Amino acid sequence: MELSRALCAVLNHQGYETDAVYDGLAAVEKAAEKTYDCMIFDIMMPVMDGLTAVREIRGQGNVTPVIMLTAKTEIDDRVDGLDAGADDYLTKPFAMKELLARIRSMTRRKTSFTPARLTLAGVTLDLDSQELSAVHSIRLSGREMQLMELFMQSKGRDLTTEEVFERIWKEEPDEDLEIVWLYVSYLRKKLGAIKAKISITGEKGGSFRLA
Amino acid sequence: MQTESIYGPYEKILPLVMEELTGQIISFNNTVRETTGHPVYEHFLYRIKADGSMREKCDRRGLPQTTHAALRELYDAIGLRIITRFIDDVFQCAAFIRTIPGCRVITEKDYIHDPKPNGYRSYHMLLDLEVPYEDPDGKTPGHYYAEVQLRTLSMDSWASLEHEMKYKQDIRNTKMIGNELKRLADEMASCDISMQTIRDLIRE
Repeated sequence: MELSRALCAVLNHQGYETDAVYDGLAAVEKAAEKTYDCMIFDIMMPVMDGLTAVREIRGQGNVTPVIMLTAKTEIDDRVDGLDAGADDYLTKPFAMKELLARIRSMTRRKTSFTPARLTLAGVTLDLDSQELSAVHSIRLSGREMQLMELFMQSKGRDLTTEEVFERIWKEEPDEDLEIVWLYVSYLRKKLGAIKAKISITGEKGGSFRLA
Repeated sequence: MQTESIYGPYEKILPLVMEELTGQIISFNNTVRETTGHPVYEHFLYRIKADGSMREKCDRRGLPQTTHAALRELYDAIGLRIITRFIDDVFQCAAFIRTIPGCRVITEKDYIHDPKPNGYRSYHMLLDLEVPYEDPDGKTPGHYYAEVQLRTLSMDSWASLEHEMKYKQDIRNTKMIGNELKRLADEMASCDISMQTIRDLIRE
């Protein structure tokens, strides 16, 4: 808990937004309700240990980069952590500088941690070819693909118009917020065109959900 | 050299039959343009299948080169193609054709909602036209078939490229070109849908 508080303080100081939870089950719930750029786990946690929590999160199709903190220097611990679905590990005690460098490296190479293909309810998004397919196939533009990827990775969770804008159009702050509705409209029609069984629900300016 | 048309005495009737249909479609387009300010189609092409092509088609299908085969066994002596700017316009035209008096739809194939595996997209209608002229069965009013293809500009340019590739024998990398054509078809379909979406938003 003390370590968690210290980590959050340093991360916030570096400009990262953080959410801290203190047991594995709470982590699983948090991961399901929000989309993160990176998650840091301790193996030793009450209620549900870090390994089980990461396994659970990966089992739900969540591919957010995970760094595992291991107390011991045992090789088995690191192997178990990576096998559970962590992308990197650090053994305690560690230098804060090194953790920050690993977070930077992890979020920088974010795309390489996501699979080339996402599948949900019979709908497949191929991130290399930008092909969206179910019964039929169609090709998405770059932005459409990013939005579809976001929806598929946040399945069953509401995304507000502001949240979507922040994630997809953050490089273009001059863009109008209404662009979110236009792109959601594109994807809705395209999901219809490939005869997908899922669609994006929600109203203009409100929250959207892929279901 | 063929002295008589494969269509026999009906050679002169076919253009009249075709005009019955095309006249209706042209006046529909004019009505839509007057009321909305925009035509419902961009191009409208129609033709009577040339004598030589029809004879070749009979050969290809293993049919005798007879008037009966050309007008009863085959259905595209009269062929229409309607090319629109937007997907919804295709369906607006198709809906109109279904209402034309004396025009019965025999079959419709929706390759827009169910594209062919190679990526081909189009809306096909086979029509049975009742006209005040004698038909090959010697009946008046007579019955003639007509085939209609409806598609957007992008579906049309894709189809003409695919057609070129299909009839060119010496293409290397057929598989690669085929895959690329499929990708193009899916990209163009995507653009068609985006264009339709934007038009719907503007018109809301």
